Amino acid sequence: MRKTNNVIKIKDFKVDKGLPFDQEYNFAYLDENTKKMIRRAIIKALCIPGYQVPFASREMPMPYGWGTGGVQVTASCLTKRDTLKIIDQGADDTTNAVSIRNFFKKTSNIKTTEITEKATLIQTRHRIPETPLKKKQIFVYQVPIPEPLAFLEPKVSETIKMHSLSEYGAMHVKLYEDISKNGHIETAYAYPVKTNDRYIMDPSPIPKFDNPKMNNSPAIQLFGAGREQRIYAIPPYTKVKSLDFEDYPFDPFKAEHACDICGSKNTYLDEIIVDDAGNKSFICSDTDFCNKRKNK
Amino acid sequence: MIIPLLKVTNLSKSYDNIVGCKNISMSLYPGEVLGIVGESGSGKTTLINCLSGNLEPDRGKIIFNINNKETDFLNISESEKRKFIRTDLAFVHQNPRDGLRLNVSAGGNIGEKLMSVGYRHYGNIRSLATKWVNKVEIDKSRIDDLPITFSGGMLQRLQIAKNLITSPNVIFMDEPTGGLDVSVQARVLDLIRSLVNELNLTVIIVSHDLAVIRLLADKMIVMKNGTVIESGLSDQVLEDPQQEYTQLLVSSVLHV
Repeated sequence: MRKTNNVIKIKDFKVDKGLPFDQEYNFAYLDENTKKMIRRAIIKALCIPGYQVPFASREMPMPYGWGTGGVQVTASCLTKRDTLKIIDQGADDTTNAVSIRNFFKKTSNIKTTEITEKATLIQTRHRIPETPLKKKQIFVYQVPIPEPLAFLEPKVSETIKMHSLSEYGAMHVKLYEDISKNGHIETAYAYPVKTNDRYIMDPSPIPKFDNPKMNNSPAIQLFGAGREQRIYAIPPYTKVKSLDFEDYPFDPFKAEHACDICGSKNTYLDEIIVDDAGNKSFICSDTDFCNKRKNK
Repeated sequence: MIIPLLKVTNLSKSYDNIVGCKNISMSLYPGEVLGIVGESGSGKTTLINCLSGNLEPDRGKIIFNINNKETDFLNISESEKRKFIRTDLAFVHQNPRDGLRLNVSAGGNIGEKLMSVGYRHYGNIRSLATKWVNKVEIDKSRIDDLPITFSGGMLQRLQIAKNLITSPNVIFMDEPTGGLDVSVQARVLDLIRSLVNELNLTVIIVSHDLAVIRLLADKMIVMKNGTVIESGLSDQVLEDPQQEYTQLLVSSVLHV
């Protein structure tokens, strides 16, 4: 029998191809009982759209805030037939995306892709891809703070009560404050939504530009918060509405530019300072979408 | 015959072996201001907390009759109860910091009450909030300032505005002038009195300051060791106290 010592061997380490498959891990790192527990939480979350289901979050081999919740949800949903795509701020090649992709390569040996259409399971931090999600895709969000009421009411016992009795009036206070300070709703990310006309939900820190993509999506959307130990979900074809005022309707804001690489005018852009003189460039945050457009 | 807005029968609440209040019965009619006086630990706050839904009493009945609709306050579901508290009751805390969100602007604090009963039009919320800020004599240029920049008196006036904006049917006030200095107290009392007259409010006010009761309350009850020892019209009780304790209380008021 081999020793169960999971130290990465330096000689096997290849940066460009990711880590080699390590068969000493259980498939997708988590043990089967943990996956079963998480799947149960996911099923419950899908039955009650937007409701935060507590689950026994495990220690993961990465720090809190790096997607421990999302990784656990992904690990529990992953099968050997899946093709995985990981994005961080829209990009496939940023630190968080690369490290999580390598993690799953090493622990489950599944196929990975950067192409949104080809993926069956996509884990994301801070973005929804520009390419529309489709049927039979699972879309997993990494969530830092799952409780949209937390800034108003620090007591969890009280927020649970507020959710169960749909006491959501106070939720508009934040939007009111925005308008009275800035003349418009300043909240640009983690913009609260109402799911299936019932639960108010934090969509994780995606830009509000992406909020409309959650509405009536054919994909399964799952949200995992590792540190806060909560899972919630939006089943396919569910109504998701962003909160607003009658006289200040929801506005999915984006920068008024076209992408400097692919020329797209209707995608979410990153603003990049390119020199010491303060000149800037706007480029698509979704690298897969931008590359495909550029190569056409 | 006028039906009482609030009827309390044999209300008791104890904390383990310590009596909070015992067998309290009273009624409150529309447009009436009821004062509750008594020394510290006499059960005033326990009583008002039971009536306003902050505490669950051990025994007794609380019946509200609002617009000919009877509400058995202790036998309704939690969601109905919270809705009732939100729309029909208001609570002015002694410390305004307990009743306000200090990290939310004055206008946001007042507006929260409106949003919690379903207002979704920013313009309407804003204009109502401005109107009420004016009404409680806060300069309307302060509407977007945080409450932490307000003085004690302003905070208390802001809390009063927040509570009155939805026209609640019963307003509970727990020592509303407790932490304020004398001149500010006078101003806040004056404000409460004019609002009570103008809007015909029904108020239950707890205080150990007899001057406050004399100024505001039509009727009063005197509490000691958790029970009501004397009640009646406030002029009558204050001019001609029957119980030894009430006499002591009345005679101990300083006359400058």
